[in-house]
Amino acid sequence: MTQNLTAKPLSRRSLLKKVAGVTAGASLGMPAIAQSKPFAGLKLRGAAYQHGFFNHLRKYIPEFEAATGMTVDLQLSAFPVYNQQADLELSSGGSAWDFCNVTFILAARWISAGLLSNLDDFTGDRKLTPASWNPDDFVKGAQVPYTGKDGKTYGYSWEGGAMLMGISRMDLMKKRGLSVPKTFDDLMKVADGIHGQEDVTGFVSSNLHHWFLPPYIHGFGGDIFASPPSDIRPTLDSASAVQAVDYYSRLLSKYSPQGVLGYTEDQARAALIGGRSNIFIHSSSWVTSMLTAQDSKVKETALVTRMPTGPKGDFPASNSQGLGIPKNAKNKEAAWAFIQWALSPELTARIVKDTGHASICRRSIIESAEYKRLNTINGQDIGKLYLDVLQQPAVGRNYMAYRTVKEFPLMGDVVNKAVERVVSGQMPAAESMRVAQEAALSSLRRSGAKV
Amino acid sequence: MKKHIIFWAVPLLLILMLTPFLWLLQMSFKPTPLILEFPPQLFFTPTLGHYVSLWKDGFPESFVNSLITSTASTALALLLGIPAAYALSRWSGPGKFGLGLGILLTRMAPPIAFTIPFFLAYRWVGLLDTRTGLILIYMTFNLPLVIWMMQPFFDAVPASLEEAALMDGAGFPTVFAEIVMPVASAGIAATAILCFLYAWNDFFFALILTRTDARTAPVAVVNFMNYEGWEWGKIAAGGSLVMAPVLAFSLLVRRYLVSGLTAGAVKG
Amino acid sequence: MASVSYESQRSRFARQAITPSLLFLVLVAGLPTLFLIITSLTPGALVNPGSLTDFSDPSRNYTLLLSDERFVGSLWVQARLSLYTVTLQVLLGTSMALLVHAGQGRWQSLRHLFVIPMVLPPIVVAVIWKLVYTPDISPIYHVAKAIGIVLPSLTTHLDFALWAIVIADTWEWAPFTFLMVLASLQTLPTEYVEAAHMDGADSLGVFWHIVLPYIAPVLLVCTLFRVIDSIKAFPLIFLLTGGGPGSVTEVTNYYAYLVAFNFGELGYSSAITVVLLSLTVLISWAAMRASRSTQSIE
Repeated sequence: MTQNLTAKPLSRRSLLKKVAGVTAGASLGMPAIAQSKPFAGLKLRGAAYQHGFFNHLRKYIPEFEAATGMTVDLQLSAFPVYNQQADLELSSGGSAWDFCNVTFILAARWISAGLLSNLDDFTGDRKLTPASWNPDDFVKGAQVPYTGKDGKTYGYSWEGGAMLMGISRMDLMKKRGLSVPKTFDDLMKVADGIHGQEDVTGFVSSNLHHWFLPPYIHGFGGDIFASPPSDIRPTLDSASAVQAVDYYSRLLSKYSPQGVLGYTEDQARAALIGGRSNIFIHSSSWVTSMLTAQDSKVKETALVTRMPTGPKGDFPASNSQGLGIPKNAKNKEAAWAFIQWALSPELTARIVKDTGHASICRRSIIESAEYKRLNTINGQDIGKLYLDVLQQPAVGRNYMAYRTVKEFPLMGDVVNKAVERVVSGQMPAAESMRVAQEAALSSLRRSGAKV
Repeated sequence: MKKHIIFWAVPLLLILMLTPFLWLLQMSFKPTPLILEFPPQLFFTPTLGHYVSLWKDGFPESFVNSLITSTASTALALLLGIPAAYALSRWSGPGKFGLGLGILLTRMAPPIAFTIPFFLAYRWVGLLDTRTGLILIYMTFNLPLVIWMMQPFFDAVPASLEEAALMDGAGFPTVFAEIVMPVASAGIAATAILCFLYAWNDFFFALILTRTDARTAPVAVVNFMNYEGWEWGKIAAGGSLVMAPVLAFSLLVRRYLVSGLTAGAVKG
Repeated sequence: MASVSYESQRSRFARQAITPSLLFLVLVAGLPTLFLIITSLTPGALVNPGSLTDFSDPSRNYTLLLSDERFVGSLWVQARLSLYTVTLQVLLGTSMALLVHAGQGRWQSLRHLFVIPMVLPPIVVAVIWKLVYTPDISPIYHVAKAIGIVLPSLTTHLDFALWAIVIADTWEWAPFTFLMVLASLQTLPTEYVEAAHMDGADSLGVFWHIVLPYIAPVLLVCTLFRVIDSIKAFPLIFLLTGGGPGSVTEVTNYYAYLVAFNFGELGYSSAITVVLLSLTVLISWAAMRASRSTQSIE
C-alpha cells in the first residue's frame, strides 16, 4: 500500500523534472540540439568574490542544475581574499576551478601570462553557443580588459563599473545655494561649502586609491604610464599627476570623515546613504544605492549624475568584472555552459526584472524599455548615465588602457601608498609622487619590465 | 589602607584588561541597529541572529577543518615528539646544544620562511587546500614544542628509577612505557592542549595554503570582512566562536598553562 | 659493568626514539629552509615559468635588497615596533605580577584569567582591536566626541598607527611576562624581604635591591623570547593597518608576505625572508643561552 503511494509521486516528479529540463533548457537559451541533462553527474567548481550579483545568481542555479544535470559549486570569498587566492591559483596553473571571476586588476596579468582559456573557441561553435547569445552585445568598454593583445576574448563581463557622482544631500546644497559641480574647481568649492554643515562631510571615499585617483590624473592631463599599453614607463611624477594627487588628497584630508584612509567601500557607502557624507564618486552600483537601498535615509534628497570634468577633459573611470575559464580547467565545456547561461540575454533580463540589479553589461538589455523603466528613479535616467560612462573608453581615446598593462597591480600598490602618505601628512604631493615614481621604476624593473 | 588599595586593584585591573575581550562578546549578541548606537546600551535583549546566520554561511565546515587539523597534528606531534624528548633528555653526547637550538629555531622562525617552500612543494604534489597539507606544516611548530616541553619532565625522572627496572630484566621500551611515561603524564596533558591551541590559532599557514575546502575557522572569520557589508555583529560572533574552544581548553588545564605558554621556561 | 650495558641500551633506545622526529624535522623544517635559500637565488615569479630555476644571477635579489628603500624602511619599522612593544609588555607584565603577588595569594586563582588575551587566536585579537579602533562603533570615540575631543582615527594616522599596533600587541602579550615573573616571584624566599624590612628598607628599596635582581634573569629570557616573537607580527598589521598609512606600519615580515603572495615574486621574497631568518637565528641563540643558564641557576 505504502509502496504504491510513494511510487506514484516519485515517478511523477521525475517525469516533471524531465519535462522541465527540456523546457528550461529551451528557455535558458540552450541549443535545442542538446539532450536534456548533457552533463549528468558532473560537479562544476567555480570561484568568485562576494557580490550581490552572485547572491542573485545563486537563486537561479537550481534551474540550471536541473536542466544540465550538473551540480554547481560556487565558492565566494571576500574581495581581497579572493583576488590573492585566485592569483596564486592561476599563476600556479591550478585546475581546482572550472570557471572563475576575472578581476579587472588582474585580467591583463592573467591574459598575457596565458592563464585563461580563449573563449572565442566556445562562442564560435554553434553546437555550444546559439547565435542569439551574440558576444557583440556586450558593451565594448566593458570588454576591453578581457580582450588580449591577439584580439581574442578571455572573459565576458558580468558587472560594469561606471564611475558616477552621487550627491546625497541636495537639500543642503539648495540651502547653501550650491549647484551641482561640473568642474574640478566646482567640486572643491561644493565640498568646502557643505563640509561641517549639520554634521555632514563634504566628501567621502575609500581605500582603493588606485581606482579613484586616475580620473583626476587624466583630467589634469596626465596618465599612469607614458603611453599604455605599449610604452609602460611610469609617469607618476609628472606635473599633472602631482596636481591630481594634491587635489584628491585635499578632498580626503579636509572634507572627508575621520579615518577615511581606512574606509572600505561599504563604510563609504554607509556614510553616503546615511546622509553623513554629501558626495561619493564611485561605480554606479555603489552610488545608486542612495536611491534603491532599503536602509537609505536620503532617497528624497539624492542625485546621481556624471562626475565633474577636469581642465583637460572628462575621463570617468570605467571597469568591469568578468567570468572566465582557467587554462587548466578540467571541465571546460561544462564551464562554458555555465558562463553562457549566467550571462545569456534571457537570464540577464530576468535578473534585472526580478531583482533590480542594474550593473550588467549587455547593451540590448540596458537599452530596453524595461531596463529604462526600472532604472529611472526620482526622474533620473540612471541607465543612460551608466551606459554612457561604460562605453566612453571605447568611443574616444582608450584612457583605461593603463588597466590593461600586466604590471598594473604593482603600480596600484605604489599609487595607494603615495596617496596615503599625502593624506596622512607624511609628505607633500610632489615629494610623495617622486618617491612613488622611484618605487614604481624599481618594482617594474624587478619584475622584468624594460623601463 | 594601602593594603586595601592593592587588594582591590587586582580584580579591577583584571576587568580593565579583559574589557576589550568582553566588548567583543557582548557585541556578538547585540542586534545590529544597536551596535552603531551611542551611548551604547549595556542592557539589551540579546539576539542569537548573528550566530545563526554564521552557521548557515559555511562556518561549520571551517570549524570542522580546524578541529581535524588541530587534533591530528597534536596526535602526530605527541607520537613523534615524546620519544624524541626522552632521547634528548638522556643524551649525553655532543651536539645536544646544537640539536636543542635547531629545534627551538624551528619554532621561532617566522611562518613565511616555511610557507614559501611549502607553497611551491604543495602545488607540485597537490596538497594545496587540503587538511593533510595543513597538518604536515603544523608539525613545524608542534613537534619542536612537544620536544621542548617534555624534555624537562623526562629530566626529572632519575636514571636510577629506570635502572632498577632494567635490573629486574625489563626491556627498554617497557621501561619507557610503564615507568617513565606515567611520571611525565602531567606534562603530556599540558603539551597536548598547547599543541591544539597553537594549531587552532594558526592564521598565516591557513591563509596561504588553503582556498575553500580546507579553510579553517580563523581564516573564515576574516572572510566575513565582506565586500558588501561590514557586518559587525557577525564578525563579533565569528570571533567569539573561533576563540571559544581554546578558551574552554585553556581554563580546563590552567594548572599546566603556565609551563606551556612560557615555553617550559617556567614550571607550573 | 652492568651500568655500562644499561648505558649502551639507553643510547640505543634514545637513537631509535629520536630518529623519526629528526627525520620528520629534516623533512618539514630542514629541507624547506634549504629550499628557501635556493629560491632566494632565483628571480622566481609564479607568472614567469622557468624563473624558479634560473640561477644565472644568484646575488640579484640580495643586491636589490640593499637598494630597496621599502625593505630598509621595514627593518626600521620592525626595530621600533619590537622596542616599543617588548618594553611595554615587560613593564606591564611585571607590574601585574608584582600586584598579584602583593595580594598575598588571595588572587592566585585569578591569574589564569589574566592569561586570556594570550590564548586567544591572534586574528581574534586583531578583530577585537579593529572594533576598538573603528570610529563608527568604538565607544572610545563616542566618549571622546561626547566630551568634545575629536580623536583622530588612530590606525590611519601617521604618528599613531604604529602605537595603535603596539597597544594591541602589548595587551595580547603582557600576560606572558606576567606569568613568568609571577612564577619567579613565588620562589623568592620571604626571608630576604623580611630581612630587608628589618634593616629599615622601604618598599621601593626592597624592590630595587632584592626583587629586581632576583627576577632579572627571568626578565632577560622573557625579553628575548618576546623580541623573537615580535618579528612574526602579522595578524594585527594585516587587519588593522595593512602596513599603512603609507608604509609606517609595514614590518619586514609583512613586506615579505606582500611581495610573495600579492605580487607573486617568490624569489625576492625568499631573500627578504632569509634576512629575517638570520636575525631570528641570532636572537634565538642568545635566548637559548640565557634560558639554559637561568634553569641551571634554579
